[in-house]
Amino acid sequence: MLQITDIDSYYGASHILHGVGLEAGKGELVGILGRNGTGKTTLLRTIMGMTTRATGSLKLNGQELIGEPTNKRAFAGFGYVPQGRQIIPDFTIRENILMGRFAAKDGRKDIPEIVYEIFPYLIENLDRPGGVLSGGQQQQLAIARALATEPSVLLLDEPTEGIQPNIVEQIEKTIIRLNKELGLTILLVEQNIRFVRAAATRFVMMENGRSVATGATADLTEALISKHMTI
Amino acid sequence: MADTLFIGLSLASILLLVALGLSIIFGSMGVINMAHGELAMIGAYTAVLSGIYLHLNLIAAIPLAFLVTAGVGWLIERLVIRHLYKRIMDTLLATWGIALLLQQAIRLQFGATFFGVNIPGLGTGLQNVSLPAFFQQSWKIGDFVIQPYRSFIILVTIALAVATWALLYKTRWGIQVRAIMRNPEMAAACGIDVRKVSSMTFAYGSGLAGVAGVLLAGFKTVSPEMGATLVVDGFMVVVVGGVGSLVGTAAAAGILGEINGIVSLVSNDILARAVVLALVIGVIMWKPTGLFNFKGR
Repeated sequence: MLQITDIDSYYGASHILHGVGLEAGKGELVGILGRNGTGKTTLLRTIMGMTTRATGSLKLNGQELIGEPTNKRAFAGFGYVPQGRQIIPDFTIRENILMGRFAAKDGRKDIPEIVYEIFPYLIENLDRPGGVLSGGQQQQLAIARALATEPSVLLLDEPTEGIQPNIVEQIEKTIIRLNKELGLTILLVEQNIRFVRAAATRFVMMENGRSVATGATADLTEALISKHMTI
Repeated sequence: MADTLFIGLSLASILLLVALGLSIIFGSMGVINMAHGELAMIGAYTAVLSGIYLHLNLIAAIPLAFLVTAGVGWLIERLVIRHLYKRIMDTLLATWGIALLLQQAIRLQFGATFFGVNIPGLGTGLQNVSLPAFFQQSWKIGDFVIQPYRSFIILVTIALAVATWALLYKTRWGIQVRAIMRNPEMAAACGIDVRKVSSMTFAYGSGLAGVAGVLLAGFKTVSPEMGATLVVDGFMVVVVGGVGSLVGTAAAAGILGEINGIVSLVSNDILARAVVLALVIGVIMWKPTGLFNFKGR
């Protein structure tokens, strides 16, 4: 359903991604791995149309999106949970979630049912400002906002980074649940190999703005990890 | 003293209308609109011309001027600013160019005014708007003189400030504008059409400037140059109040307008301006993000 072919992406004059390709079928969870600064975040941002310029092909359900603006891509079915969460601190939790509704294809303006189920804490505090939440709760809020866009592909950029360990497990369970139970296709940028092994169906290894290895999770060998991820 | 405060308040009101538009536009689009004062000038001329040709009085000219300037603002956004997003210096220069263009166009069409005196042959009767009779009679309650036109200015401003607040905080358009002000990238990732919302924002801010122009036309000479100082005053208010903060903009307009009014009374206009400028510099040094700023929290 998601086909990325030969993508080159630029920030101003800097050429960041070189011919990156990636495919994900419905319900797959693809782990995007690599050291810092190898283009993982840029890959997600390129999918959202947030870099200065990108060439190549980005198809979601057969629809070519490479030249489209960010809001059209959200509407086409990409839900984005950025690094650092980027919720809006002085919006209420309700407003933060409903922001995502501007991309909902059926024009719904309510809080998605799934959020009631998986993030009850947010529902109990809908009228409090998003800024009072802890890091882990803000991460939940960012995911809830992305779910409100009714995505067919969820883009998660290091969702467990900088979150206290007891919440990390909770977030991981949520991600697995969204993938397994709701059948959401997920692209997951992650440094935590253990979690990628547990959750991903496939992986892509990045180095210097290129995808250097890809395959089923079973092919994610120690040799590959030590070659491309140890510092 | 009460009279002075009252006059100060009416000056503050016009400042607020100018600054509100500037603040919303700068906050959501990162565009410093140097042509904002000229939009007020166009509003003033709309009042003058609609008085002459349509026999509308000043009150009826307000909605008309709002629409005219909103339309001009929309065009400026579509034709020029849209192509210069995220290039703050370029938008500054481009809008300054538009300001000069608009000034000159009006000057060519309607004639020049020097030192408040109109040169015959270059257009007459365009320098002021006659106020409806009921605005010219002042009322007295004890020692306090109520000037009806000044009161009208204050009321219109309060109404528009409340309307702006309601638009921003109670409507779908408003939450989109506020989301763009905080984080344009995430707003877009949530499906908000940043460009479409921005051109509406620009048009609305321009419309507010147009109303300020009509209100100014009621007690000041209408001239092609009248907008040039307005944009400076408006920006001082935005800077002192904090970008994107409605409360801050209102408070700063009140403070600067009142100080201007009071100092003008006890000494003169020029000293008043110096005091206001000194205060603005002081505030910027003490609080670079303004008195009220959501980003500071």
